[in-house]
Amino acid sequence: MKRAILSCNGLDKPEGSVAREVAIRTAEAIESEIICPVLLNRAPARYKKILSGSSLIVVDGCSTRCATKLATGLGAKVERKVMVSDSVKASGKPLESTLRLQPDGLTLAQSIVDELVHNLNAPAAAPEPVAEFEAPTEYLFVTHDKFEFRIPVVDYAFNENDVWARVLDGVARVGISDYMQQKLTDISYFDPPKVETAVDQFGELGSVESAKAVFEIVSPVSGTVVGVNPAVIENPGLINEDPYGSGWLVEIKVTDFAQDQALLLDGAAYADVVKRKAAEE
Amino acid sequence: MAETTFMGVPREKIPWFPTIDYDKCTFCMECDVFCPHHVFERREGDRKLVVANPNNCVVFCRACAKTCGPDALSFPNKPEIIALIKQIREKESAK
Repeated sequence: MKRAILSCNGLDKPEGSVAREVAIRTAEAIESEIICPVLLNRAPARYKKILSGSSLIVVDGCSTRCATKLATGLGAKVERKVMVSDSVKASGKPLESTLRLQPDGLTLAQSIVDELVHNLNAPAAAPEPVAEFEAPTEYLFVTHDKFEFRIPVVDYAFNENDVWARVLDGVARVGISDYMQQKLTDISYFDPPKVETAVDQFGELGSVESAKAVFEIVSPVSGTVVGVNPAVIENPGLINEDPYGSGWLVEIKVTDFAQDQALLLDGAAYADVVKRKAAEE
Repeated sequence: MAETTFMGVPREKIPWFPTIDYDKCTFCMECDVFCPHHVFERREGDRKLVVANPNNCVVFCRACAKTCGPDALSFPNKPEIIALIKQIREKESAK
């Protein structure tokens, strides 16, 4: 599939100026077309052909996520995303408060482009799933207004951050609950954790994103990431369709699940948490 | 809300909630529009938005900060909060 670049237009903040530079340099590096966000917003027909035949590299300057919201609003396929403000934070050096790109902004832009192009050329190896799971058969149902949230009765352990783990042969498969996927609505992007990284219980396991929100995945277990779900990277909508089955996100080789379990909930206890949360909204 | 707990610990004992940096906040209200738990409230005057209900905040959730273009919302250090929760749990179970 062809690629196109949709970026922040870069006229509000220094991070935007970097985003715009990232877009231009990436377009040159991978020989792709740039979509102007203002024109896309005003006259989407101009880009209809490109959008239907391309996967997007989306470059946001800041957490307002204008480019992402445009992309998801039009139902475009997002292959990869860049968030400049996160890269600025990671670099530890705030940008000078001017829209004119400074040397530090240019250096940062180039390092973002280098990493992006490298990842596009050599996508992170998505190892084959380790564990074999049967889909859950028995559910608890929590209803609130017109919504109905399913929670598997057995085999699934939950944290109070709406993330489940199911352990088989020392490997935990992790995903988000039906309640959370409904809250997020259509999920358009899964930013996976790096394979082979160690994670503590309640540490971060990447994020999933919809037009509505970015949801950080809070790990229910401690261990080492051994796999991410390639099907969900390709089609994040699977999380909405089948959150406890084919929409799983990450596999973790657990260090001490018995210890983790002391801080996790079974299906019935998690159902009470969902009831409470739904009632508060 | 007094009966609310997180991991068995009374919610009010866990200092997890956003702090607004008023030097950065533009009062765009994106966070308030987003947060379904009514952590924020709008006010008259200079500070048009305040963290009115910190204990409504879902512990470890930082989703509002990810809506904040000017990067005006911050949260406490997560490993420190986890350690605190475990400490309180141990104290409670020793009773």
